[in-house]
Amino acid sequence: MIPMVQAQGVHKSFGAVQVLRGIDLEVQPGEVMVIIGPSGSGKSTFLRCINHLEKVDAGQLSVDGELVGYRRHGDKLYELRDREVCRKRSEIGMVFQHFNLFPNMTALENVIEAPMRVRRVSKADAVAKAHRLLDQVGLAEKAGSYPRQLSGGQQQRVAIARALAMEPKLMLFDEPTSALDPELVGDVLDVMKQLAQEGMTMMVVTHEIGFAREVGDKLVFMDGGVVVEAGRPRDVITNPQHPRTQDFLSKVL
Amino acid sequence: MAAPVDYQRAAPDSGPIKAIPVRHPWRWVSAAVLLVLVAMFINGFFIAKIKRGNSLETRFGWGVVGEYFTSGVVLKGLLMTIELTVLGMVIGIVGGVILAVMRLSANPIARWVAWVYIWFFRGTPLLVQILFWYVVGYAFPRLSLGIPFGPDFFSFSPNDVITPFIAGMIGLGLNEAAYMAEIVRAGILSVDEGQFEAAQSLGMSRLLTMRRVVLPQAMRVIIPPTGNELISMLKNTSLVSVIAMSDLLYTVQLIYAATYQTVPMLLVASLWYIIVTTVLTVGQYYVERFFGRGSSRQQPLTPLQRLRKMVASHPDVPPKETLDEMLRSQAPFRRGGGALA
Repeated sequence: MIPMVQAQGVHKSFGAVQVLRGIDLEVQPGEVMVIIGPSGSGKSTFLRCINHLEKVDAGQLSVDGELVGYRRHGDKLYELRDREVCRKRSEIGMVFQHFNLFPNMTALENVIEAPMRVRRVSKADAVAKAHRLLDQVGLAEKAGSYPRQLSGGQQQRVAIARALAMEPKLMLFDEPTSALDPELVGDVLDVMKQLAQEGMTMMVVTHEIGFAREVGDKLVFMDGGVVVEAGRPRDVITNPQHPRTQDFLSKVL
Repeated sequence: MAAPVDYQRAAPDSGPIKAIPVRHPWRWVSAAVLLVLVAMFINGFFIAKIKRGNSLETRFGWGVVGEYFTSGVVLKGLLMTIELTVLGMVIGIVGGVILAVMRLSANPIARWVAWVYIWFFRGTPLLVQILFWYVVGYAFPRLSLGIPFGPDFFSFSPNDVITPFIAGMIGLGLNEAAYMAEIVRAGILSVDEGQFEAAQSLGMSRLLTMRRVVLPQAMRVIIPPTGNELISMLKNTSLVSVIAMSDLLYTVQLIYAATYQTVPMLLVASLWYIIVTTVLTVGQYYVERFFGRGSSRQQPLTPLQRLRKMVASHPDVPPKETLDEMLRSQAPFRRGGGALA
């Protein structure tokens, strides 16, 4: 089986700062990988590399068997054209810490925008699908609301619906609940859990250890731009091997 | 030992407080002084008559103003001014968007060309630029379309094409583009980085992101200074008088050169400028509302809506429909689906 995401020795620097220093990991189709770690450990940067919002400096990163951002021809690498990068991104959903809904569009318009403009789906189909998705995230009656009229939790669920509208084969979640009031976190996590149960391949950067334990198939602890420890969530959480992991978990649990 | 405070006495019942308000006698005095000054101003400027020759006239010749205000030549001049304003602004906005995108482009040559353009057109007087476009035909007696430094497919003489109107329009428009470029760039820079990322992560191309996500949000920042530019443009059009274009100001100048009614004619022009400015200001209010949708939880009512609400809630006017229905039917931007869907 081709892994959905495969990283081998992925490096990334911003100027003199080395953020990723050789990441190796694999995500199988249908798997939920949860990435935890202190801030500045490179979790978000790695996630952003996967849909080419950041360029990888060294190493190999592939999604569904295809290199991210490049095409191999013989033994040469060619950068992908913008159009190809866009096509690949459209197959990967991403959910951001600060939601990043388009504030000039209603919830419904946010969800139908990309299917209509990128995939050229007819408006009727896009709207029907958007209503289904908004219903699925529990916001059927908020279709006509603008993002600023919604709570953070509602905005994030619209953002999830917007990503799902492109029928992605992989969903990336970049600290989806970090900007939310504590009592709103549950609604978002419930939607994500439901998604995981439906078999979506997911990579989730989060501080929600409970979610990692309950929903994750694999837990990765990152620190200093490398994967320090990886394994079944229950094992890593209850019996961390590496002292850095022990230290981190003792602080967040 | 002090007597215990009788709270019951201080507040005999829990009804509304009836207290004697503080008096403000000086407010009355200052209001009276101001009203007298306003009355003197109105009288002096508009009503009082003084002896001129052997007739009595108002100081600023309002009779003459009324006579010429809607005369054919003045209206023709006004039309010319409005045409130049609109066309100059269209060139300015289109050029400004192109220059702003060039300045933010990944291509260093595009960035540099845009920078030099803005530097030059902001750095030289508009008057000189208008004159330049008028006389450009002397420097380039023939312009042609063809392969650079190679054969021509098509050629024409600028002297035939560049009428004073075209020169004025190009001069105003190209100058405006330099200013608009910076306004548009400020608007684009004001949009949160996360918006670009969200659009990109959905597979939207750069152009699509710009058109559907960034520019509509940038508009909120772009419109107020553009309103300023439009109003300055309205008045800058008077510079075309140097190339003998009969715009509003030049028209009245021609009239007072013959009649010596200098001040009344300048008032005619000024009144028209202020009327057009007022119309543009009202227009700007509605354009801002349109692009502001989604930016606050609920848009305030327009003055017109407030007026209707007042009329509707007046006891003497029985409401035909409920207030809610009325407001909904008047607020198209709040309706789900939006105008851009």
